[in-house]
Amino acid sequence: MEIKFSGVTKIFQPDIIALEDIYMQVEKGEFVYLVGETGSGKTTLMRCITREVIPTRGQISVGGNLLRKINRFDLALFRRDIGVVFQSFLLLPNLTAFENVAFVLEVMGLPPREITERVSEVLKLVGIWRRRNLYPPQLSGGEQQRLAIARAIVNSPSLLIADEPTGNLDTHTADEIMQLILGINAAGTTVMMATHNQYLVDTYRHRVIEIHRGRIVRDEDQGRYELHGGC
Amino acid sequence: MAAVRYACRDGWRLIVRHWGMSLLTIFTAMSVFFIIGASTLFVLNVRNIVSSLENQMTIQAYLKPKADVKAAEKAIKALPYVKETKLITRDMALERLRSRIGEQAKAVMLLGENPLPESIEIKVRKASDVAETARLLVAVPEIEDIVYAGRVAEKLTRVSGFVEKFSIVMLLVAIAASGVVLFNTIRISVYSREEEIGVMMMVGATSTYVTLPFVIQGFILGLTGAFLASLLLGGTYYAAVTRLKDMLPFIPFIESTKLTGKLAFMLVCCGATVSLISSLMAVEKFIRKASKPL
Repeated sequence: MEIKFSGVTKIFQPDIIALEDIYMQVEKGEFVYLVGETGSGKTTLMRCITREVIPTRGQISVGGNLLRKINRFDLALFRRDIGVVFQSFLLLPNLTAFENVAFVLEVMGLPPREITERVSEVLKLVGIWRRRNLYPPQLSGGEQQRLAIARAIVNSPSLLIADEPTGNLDTHTADEIMQLILGINAAGTTVMMATHNQYLVDTYRHRVIEIHRGRIVRDEDQGRYELHGGC
Repeated sequence: MAAVRYACRDGWRLIVRHWGMSLLTIFTAMSVFFIIGASTLFVLNVRNIVSSLENQMTIQAYLKPKADVKAAEKAIKALPYVKETKLITRDMALERLRSRIGEQAKAVMLLGENPLPESIEIKVRKASDVAETARLLVAVPEIEDIVYAGRVAEKLTRVSGFVEKFSIVMLLVAIAASGVVLFNTIRISVYSREEEIGVMMMVGATSTYVTLPFVIQGFILGLTGAFLASLLLGGTYYAAVTRLKDMLPFIPFIESTKLTGKLAFMLVCCGATVSLISSLMAVEKFIRKASKPL
């Protein structure tokens, strides 16, 4: 799923400029790191892609959908083709690990047998199959992270948006999570991942887009983490 | 089809997982519908009393001596508001007088013959029809004189009108209050799942998919509350009527099981409808909030 930003600016009231004049194009199947200091605008940019945020100026097109014009029903269908790993996981505490993943497929109206098969498969893939009947608060941080990834990939999305998917994880677990995401990308899913993890960016080299104060200050293939901060 | 199955399961899950809130909603619905039912029964009983008083309102039309009784009865029955007529012969009139004044009635017979005229007792549909009927009776040639309780009829007309308006206002207020109370109770229940609604919308749930479980939850809780209210109302009403009948034997309380059955059915339908609409409105608000981009 390709992403295109044309002159996107987002100003939050009263006058906080979160994004400024963003031009960006991500091709289908590409892997992009989004780097930058905290508060630079990475999350806002990602939320623009999921249409949680509407730009003040400019156009965003994702998979051929002009997000400004999309209606409520089409937005639901559009979001079924996107997997999102939220920074705060946003797992549902009242549902078990299995149910947290299954409900994404239920939303899509899949039959129960297929849901069971796919959820089992993805929970095994992320390594928390044994913990499937536990509730999110009963899982460790790493397990919750894996569960959030499982939920994001269970519908085989064309686009995976991951906001700090390895935040607060030890290097070993972060590595495992990264391998998982790379595997998903290898299967053809476009991945956009916001991260502060220098080790991952420098080890698994891909395109790097750096944002500083709402502007793209660097966009390079096979880039490194090192922040330029607009210098 | 799968979506409906999931919605039913989630609706039930909502009730069970948030059992405290569910019990509160059922209790609230039960209290509210009990009040509505009790108000309705009160209004129906007041109407029944007024209507039985109205039934007792009669116009006495005294006939001219040697008047054609059949012609008079026919003319009276042809009048618009007349519900029932009864011929009171001279002997019947004397008998009535005797039963009212006892031994003193002998004085009447001292004249040698029964001086009382023949009359026709007329019942009208409503107390408000009495005055108009009396005016029309004047035009019947066989009638010599008309006697009716004008002031009582006037007062009854006013009371009847007031009861009619009061009952409508009372029911509307009770239904509106029940709607507001249920709306707020269900809104609290929805509020506790605000985050869940947001996540559901994020993974591509349609508004209908998100709404349905809450509507099913509201429907079941409202229905249960109203059903329990009906049972409670039936029990307490008949217990109260049994006692009140001993204390106030002259008041005609409603005791028809058919009527109370109908009321229970209406309460359950009303409970289901009000809770359905309330939950729909409560969820819609959160969905709008969750789907509104920043």
